Amino acid sequence: MGTVTWMLALALGAAPAREWPGAEVPLPLAVRTPEDLAFKAVVERRYLEFNLLSSGKLAYDRGDMATAADRFERLLALKDLSPDVVAVVRPLAEEARRRAGGSRVAEPGPAVIAEPPQPVLATVKGQVAGGGALGPGGTVVWLTRADAPTPRPKSIERTVVQRGKQFIPRVLAVPVGATVHFRNDDEVFHNVFSLSRPNDFDLGLYRSGDARDRTFRTPGPVSLLCNIHTSMVGYVYVVDSPYYVQADEGGSWTIKNVPFGDYQLHAWHETSLEPVRRGVSVQAEAVTAPRLTVNSDRPPMTFVPDKAGKPRQTQLGY
Amino acid sequence: MTRVLVPCLLAALPALAQPAGPEPEVGDHGSSESAGYTPPQATQAPFRVSGYVDVGWAKAQGNGSSFVPGDTRLPADYYVDPFAPAVNSRGDVASLDAGGRFVNGFLPYTVGAGGKGTFLLNVASIDLQVSPSGLPVLVFIRGQALPRWNGNGSETRFLLQQAFGRVSPFSSQELSISAGRFDSVFGIEYLENESNLRLGITPSLIARYTTGHPLGIKLFYRFQLPSIASAISINAAATNHGSQVESLQAETLSFTGVPVGSTRLGYELSLLGTELKLGVSGLYGPRNDQPDPGVTQRQLGFDARVFVGPFSVWAEYVDVDEEPATAPPKPTGTGVYTIASGFRAHGFYVQLAYALPVHGRVLSGASLYGRYDRRKGGFDGTPELLTSRWTVGGRLELWSVLQLKAEVLFNRENAGAPTVDNDVFTTSAVFSF
Repeated sequence: MGTVTWMLALALGAAPAREWPGAEVPLPLAVRTPEDLAFKAVVERRYLEFNLLSSGKLAYDRGDMATAADRFERLLALKDLSPDVVAVVRPLAEEARRRAGGSRVAEPGPAVIAEPPQPVLATVKGQVAGGGALGPGGTVVWLTRADAPTPRPKSIERTVVQRGKQFIPRVLAVPVGATVHFRNDDEVFHNVFSLSRPNDFDLGLYRSGDARDRTFRTPGPVSLLCNIHTSMVGYVYVVDSPYYVQADEGGSWTIKNVPFGDYQLHAWHETSLEPVRRGVSVQAEAVTAPRLTVNSDRPPMTFVPDKAGKPRQTQLGY
Repeated sequence: MTRVLVPCLLAALPALAQPAGPEPEVGDHGSSESAGYTPPQATQAPFRVSGYVDVGWAKAQGNGSSFVPGDTRLPADYYVDPFAPAVNSRGDVASLDAGGRFVNGFLPYTVGAGGKGTFLLNVASIDLQVSPSGLPVLVFIRGQALPRWNGNGSETRFLLQQAFGRVSPFSSQELSISAGRFDSVFGIEYLENESNLRLGITPSLIARYTTGHPLGIKLFYRFQLPSIASAISINAAATNHGSQVESLQAETLSFTGVPVGSTRLGYELSLLGTELKLGVSGLYGPRNDQPDPGVTQRQLGFDARVFVGPFSVWAEYVDVDEEPATAPPKPTGTGVYTIASGFRAHGFYVQLAYALPVHGRVLSGASLYGRYDRRKGGFDGTPELLTSRWTVGGRLELWSVLQLKAEVLFNRENAGAPTVDNDVFTTSAVFSF
């Protein structure tokens, strides 16, 4: 209530000779958490009320009754407006409307004019090609916003099992902050590690049925290896977006629930050094992205290193 | 200002309703489709072809050999270390020019360059690995071409260096059994005996005793001790001959019908960021360069490897004892010679390497290394020779497929052999595919 009082005093008192504060909207408040978003929504609601009050009163004072009526009516149309504000503004709004001609003075309560609209979500589909003999299956496809910061993806958990001396799945896409459980489903020991900086790690030796965890905090590819079994190769790709998916065996992919906007479309395959990128505009509820051919520029793994980085010959040992 | 503010406000009303700036954390939209991807078995090729090509440039001091003009002792190769001026990963030397003196088969292969700098096409190597999906079986074949166009050197050779089948019969045990022609199980230097695997260029002074490719059967078993982050392994083989290199071995066939037994017992300590590997190796059996199975060869070795962050240390010791043969001749990989003398040698090397913190896309790795070798050995009736070598070098890795290496070998004759200028500067470019 103190804020409202302050705003009313400022708006209805003597017209300030100086510039209004905070002319730019939307307000440059960082939003990284749901709490940040709620805070920003409150501030911007107050900011909107304040400016409608101010501009309405300024117009009223200079005799621009049409503008004053418009501002006050927009203000009164806001949902859940404070009764104090309604009590002060309604007479001015009615007077401005009367003097401007017409009879519209909005009733406070539910209205759509300032109600934050729900973001329109789209489904983006596409096709990737390439991948050499492996085919395009498993290609990691993701969208990052080109016209605004990309939302921070929600932390999730995923599992990669070691079974039959293989990583299953062989390729896994996860968002930044995801925790992957590496579970040993074999009867023998495994020692999963990666030399992929800065996501390099070493889970140490663990027995059948055990799992070790790794949280990935940096975007990029992570090659998975086992210090015991040279035949084991897998990949985790860490994306910095909540809008990601992996292509099916034929290269088709679909990302759902994408807010409207302009995006960069990325695609990475295990044969890629760098993702391939393409701009895509999401302005309809169903969008078909341009067909991408993944880069297959990563040199073949000429030897399998151990966790010290020393080369191993896959035909040796076990 | 108000005239600016109000239009801005009105224009911004929709934007006010949709927060801009950094967006909030949102859910895993693709979760239902991002459980990962494992290709169908049909798309996973059961075979893999890989290999490398090793070219280089080298120059040795003097006439490129360890032989000293004016030294008239015979056999000439019993009084020097002819393996010292190595120029490539095969251990081929710059020259074996003994000045026309009699030699008796204690010889490496040679590129025949003498003391001149020369470009080398060291090795073209190709591996074929077949592992049928769902079967615990692997077939491995390594073929190599060693072109030697210089008429002064060894002849061009085409090798079926390895060809074996391996089966891992138990899914619950780290056990594999291989049969065919394979790497020796003795010591550790065989692990990096190929150009594309070796940190440096040239093999150690004791590699001649440990890095051959015998024909037979071998077993590998490893037992994990997770409570102490350790493992114990055994590698055992029964083969037609010992672990000496091809130039010192006669054939892949057995002259006696009695196999040579060899084994390495290993211990591994694997901590986060640190690894320690220790091993003891033994070998016993007939010499396999003449038909009497009672004339034996024996080897004993110790090895250690330590990896701590960017540093690695490799060290190996070997002791060799060959009984004298009862009758000539002595066939080896370089010919048939007259005398099969008794022979004893022991030696070691210690190699320290540092991996520079280079992880670029083009320059994907860089290392500096140094190695000290020392070997003492001699044939029956000849003095023991003590030789040593300092090796220093550097290595660059480009695009993960090209290695550029350069090293200098400072060979020293410490006792029993005449001092000779036989230091070597050699380089190598290895392209892997």
